[in-house]
Amino acid sequence: MVEERRILYEHLDVPDINTFDVFRQYDGYTRFEKAIAEYQPEEIAQMVKDSGLKGRGGAGFSTGEKWSFVPRDIEPRYLCCNADESEPGTFSNRYVLEKNPHLLIEGILICCYAMGIETTYVYIRGEFTLGKKMLDAAIKEAYEKGYLGKDVRGTGLNIDIYTHPGAGAYICGEETGLIESLEGKRGQPRNKPPFPAVQGVFMKPTVVQNVETLCNLPFIVGNGVEWYTEMGPTYADTRFDPPKPDANTGTKLYCISGDVNEPGVYELDLGLTCSELIEVAGGLRGEEVKAVIPGGSSAPILTHYELDTRLDFTSLTLAKSMLGSGGIIVMNETRNIVDCLLNIMKFYAHESCGQCTPCRWGTPWVRDIVQRIADGDGRKDTITRPKFGVAENGRWGDTGETEEIYEDLDLLESVANNIANVDTMTWNTICVFGIAVSWPAVSYMRKFRPEFEAAIREGKLVTLPVAEATVPPEENYAYQQRFIPKEFADL
Amino acid sequence: MSDELIQIETPFAFNEENQREFDELIGRYPIKEAAMLPTLHLAQRQAGYITPAVMKHVAELLEVTVMKVKDVVTFYPMFFEEPVGEYVIRVCHTLPCALRDCKVVLDHLKAKLDTDIASETNLAKGTTADGKFTLMKVECLASCDVAPVIMINDDLYKNLTAEKVDEILDNL
Repeated sequence: MVEERRILYEHLDVPDINTFDVFRQYDGYTRFEKAIAEYQPEEIAQMVKDSGLKGRGGAGFSTGEKWSFVPRDIEPRYLCCNADESEPGTFSNRYVLEKNPHLLIEGILICCYAMGIETTYVYIRGEFTLGKKMLDAAIKEAYEKGYLGKDVRGTGLNIDIYTHPGAGAYICGEETGLIESLEGKRGQPRNKPPFPAVQGVFMKPTVVQNVETLCNLPFIVGNGVEWYTEMGPTYADTRFDPPKPDANTGTKLYCISGDVNEPGVYELDLGLTCSELIEVAGGLRGEEVKAVIPGGSSAPILTHYELDTRLDFTSLTLAKSMLGSGGIIVMNETRNIVDCLLNIMKFYAHESCGQCTPCRWGTPWVRDIVQRIADGDGRKDTITRPKFGVAENGRWGDTGETEEIYEDLDLLESVANNIANVDTMTWNTICVFGIAVSWPAVSYMRKFRPEFEAAIREGKLVTLPVAEATVPPEENYAYQQRFIPKEFADL
Repeated sequence: MSDELIQIETPFAFNEENQREFDELIGRYPIKEAAMLPTLHLAQRQAGYITPAVMKHVAELLEVTVMKVKDVVTFYPMFFEEPVGEYVIRVCHTLPCALRDCKVVLDHLKAKLDTDIASETNLAKGTTADGKFTLMKVECLASCDVAPVIMINDDLYKNLTAEKVDEILDNL
């Protein structure tokens, strides 16, 4: 059994760790002090790049690389901490904010020092009232102790952190949506480029990082790059010659929910398999795994054939899914996939910001199709294809083969693919919300097609046994191009 | 919406405490407009919901048009343009909660409070006759490990069953 490795969450359950004094007892702020005493800002940025840290918010983009795009000659620069945790199935940031807010402040301080940033906005989703209260209290304490404000610890650095409440819109978790919202507008994402690293909040260079990413920084600085890169697999990207290392280093706060016995946040090295994680979370609640959502509701679903998939950025991308924000939702044999998809499509239809036409109209359309199927009104048709052959009367003629087609399933795929095409990975929308809608819609439908067909045929929701409900990998394009990567050391 | 078209019955202004908080807020941003969301939260806490008078006052404070404030208010689900109950009950119904029977909790609340579920355009539909509760469905509250969850005003309640809901409502 895989062991938990608690780094970010190590002191989470220590009583009063949210206060400065207790946090200080557990090496609090020593990593920041080490950073300013021993390293130049550029060295910190280089360390983060070497550590292979990937953004934990969803896209999995290399943090060090993102920092390198920020022009250092334009003042002022900003840091936006994304604490707008709204992806269904994700809840790890909430615990950091509520229980250990000083860790986040330390991460922010290191980032500010490395990037020469003076102002940080922490965008907290509006529903996190307790998290905001705790963070506000911690910030106040840090000001009093001289770790924030003018001339931090006598180093001449000026660093301010402000919290900014959201107001319940999912799209504000998208980085440019967040920036628009922070500027006091509707949270409608911007066209990219220009990327936020060049023109972000108030049109100034902006680093946007997730809470979990920032919380990794103190440990990278404190324990060194070598210590950090030992955790998690590094793969070989064979598109380059010689193969370029593709790092999936560090631990991840896996949030697991749904049909497991002990749902919760588990901090584990990246790269364990799906079935291992279910085992860590107390095993499955039920008889059999029917499906697993590996990275929040926008990630394409995995079937029971794919439980050997490793949960890291590279492996899941190659399995045509994504790690996203690390929200894993497990479903057992009693669940109906049509019903689950309906729930998720209602979510996206509600949360579309309405800026781009394909998404604004497409998301309710997809929802309505799935609703129709779930209500038993799914459209089907029989078509007769002309075919020459020996007819019943023994003479040559049109034998008229009749075939039953499921009109609504084709329509579902067509509408979803016109919001964002999952096969070519091109989207007709400004932001990736489009792909977050069509990914689940198309992948659920392709991988669990028998269950959708049964619902249309029978005129009601039918929950098939797992083996019957799932399309096996060998026969279907639903799993195309799927392969498990090899570790770098093996090559 | 030009200012003449807004029917303002009673003008709105921040009370002393909120005005102090607003003055502190506004200093955080290089442009005043950026303080929009925190200011609206503050105003909603004082007024109960965002009335035209609130929008006008916020627009004056932030030096933007009333239309721009209205634009923002209509976008975000947490701002109400109609009166709501003393307790706003938000029931999460996204997938992880749905897998843990949030429907039982929702149906129980509906029966117990004898009200429908509010829609974003019709909050009165989900408000009890005595104006004490407003029942609404919301998307993921980011507490999927302790599902099903509800939020009553600012507090989160976890691992709910019908009996626990009774207990919580009795203790309010």
